[in-house]
Amino acid sequence: MNDNSNNHKSVLKVRDLYKRFNDNVAVDRVSFNINEGDFVALLGPNGAGKTTTIKMLTGLIKSMSGDIHYYGESFFDNMKKSKSVIGVVPQQSNLDRDLTAYENLMMHAILHGMPKSSRKEKIDAALEFAGILEQKNNEVRTFSGGMQRRLVIVRALLHEPKILFLDEPTVGLDPRIRHELWKLIIKINQLKKTSILMTTHYIEEADKLCDRVLIINSARIVAEDSPETLKNELGRYVLETFNEESIDKLFFATREEAVKSMKDSECACKIREVSLDDVFLDLTGRSIDA
Amino acid sequence: MLNGFKGVLYRELSLYKRKARKQILAASISPLLFLIAFGWSFGEEMSVGGLPYITFLIPGLITMSSLNQSYGISQELNISRFYFHVFDEYLIAPISPLEIVFGEALYGMFKGLLSTGLILIYSQLFSVKLTFSPIFFVAITLHTFIFSSLGIAMAMLIKEHRSQATLTTFVITPMIFLCGTFFPVERLPAVFNTAVHALPLTYSTKVIRASLTGGAYVPLHMMLLAGYAVMFFGLALYAVRRVEA
Repeated sequence: MNDNSNNHKSVLKVRDLYKRFNDNVAVDRVSFNINEGDFVALLGPNGAGKTTTIKMLTGLIKSMSGDIHYYGESFFDNMKKSKSVIGVVPQQSNLDRDLTAYENLMMHAILHGMPKSSRKEKIDAALEFAGILEQKNNEVRTFSGGMQRRLVIVRALLHEPKILFLDEPTVGLDPRIRHELWKLIIKINQLKKTSILMTTHYIEEADKLCDRVLIINSARIVAEDSPETLKNELGRYVLETFNEESIDKLFFATREEAVKSMKDSECACKIREVSLDDVFLDLTGRSIDA
Repeated sequence: MLNGFKGVLYRELSLYKRKARKQILAASISPLLFLIAFGWSFGEEMSVGGLPYITFLIPGLITMSSLNQSYGISQELNISRFYFHVFDEYLIAPISPLEIVFGEALYGMFKGLLSTGLILIYSQLFSVKLTFSPIFFVAITLHTFIFSSLGIAMAMLIKEHRSQATLTTFVITPMIFLCGTFFPVERLPAVFNTAVHALPLTYSTKVIRASLTGGAYVPLHMMLLAGYAVMFFGLALYAVRRVEA
């Protein structure tokens, strides 16, 4: 595993985080680090423990054991201070639908103790960043799904957190809006230098956006590295042979090798680039979407 | 320091502003109906404890209506917790549970005091003579604080939205009718009489009635109210501390 120990300062350090609901282990001794500017995906199928992990890291549910440190200080001992450096975009919108966009942001600004003198200016800037400045005095219930998502994201950024948690930020959105959100998220990571931990079960999302992927399956992290390294370890290309009941996969470092092997085969087959789903399948024996 | 308190109040009052007219209208209907039904029908002819019934009734309507309004925040908290997950925004923010409870309690008191004002206006319309002593203001403050805190605690302790209605049917409604709001608790059979003396509404109704009708209040009752206030606030604080998303 890559512990990503470059020169950047550690923002979040998680050690042996554990949570059980009755007899079900939801998160099993999960450990990882996030440094300044990192963009990390927690990739896994539904029910793998992604949301539970985020909820524990943000104080929404209590872990049973393990340590969480923000900037070297224990989360449990310095909850107020730690919470001021985090921003959260929950999977389910928790905007107040009866308040306007402006009022939702103002409530957030007050709760986070932002100085009165700069609140209004920062709220307007956030609304502009999200492209909803013109609708600032409209009630959130009148907003489309995409607008609500953008509003939740800029709300999480309003108090200028050092780390942003995005829990399945694009789930349930159509592809066009998903791409718009990706652009917004990349902008946040690059322009604002905010570290991001994003949970997702979309392979493409983790592959395109993140510099590091934590693969989680059945409550445990089974691999951690950059998407490139994870894929290269398997081989860049895959030759899929379609049999009557199954698909056989062979991995190759180069396309040429794959093509050569294909020529020897008599079955129906296809060559394509390796994806993170292949990595997941190789590690867990099942596809991420299954 | 008070960011949580201010944030919670900002949200509640922004929402209230939007629905104020509807809320005030809703809060004014049922006490008016009680006044018409009981006040007009028995008001003149009947007297209770030396008071014309309508004069006896007004303080009871004040405690009933303000209880409904203050405790009623539990319904709103419930919806924001279970349906809209707005409560998560409080839990994620760098604020303490104490600030959340204080903010919500103050909002509950605001609603309770508003309905008190409405009934005082009615009392003038019905030409009921009331006397105001400082004791009234202390007692109504404690009364609305007690039931706001209880509302917060219940909204946080229940596991699902439906339990809220069950609690109202089996606890709140019987309490409203049996704790001296419409008739003196002394007329209840012994068992019920003992039972209602375990409930704060019995004491707040007695103190508030005494303070508005020129009677003498029992200082022990006021102390008991202060005790209930501390207990229910503590319960609300405990409930918010253990809540998980």
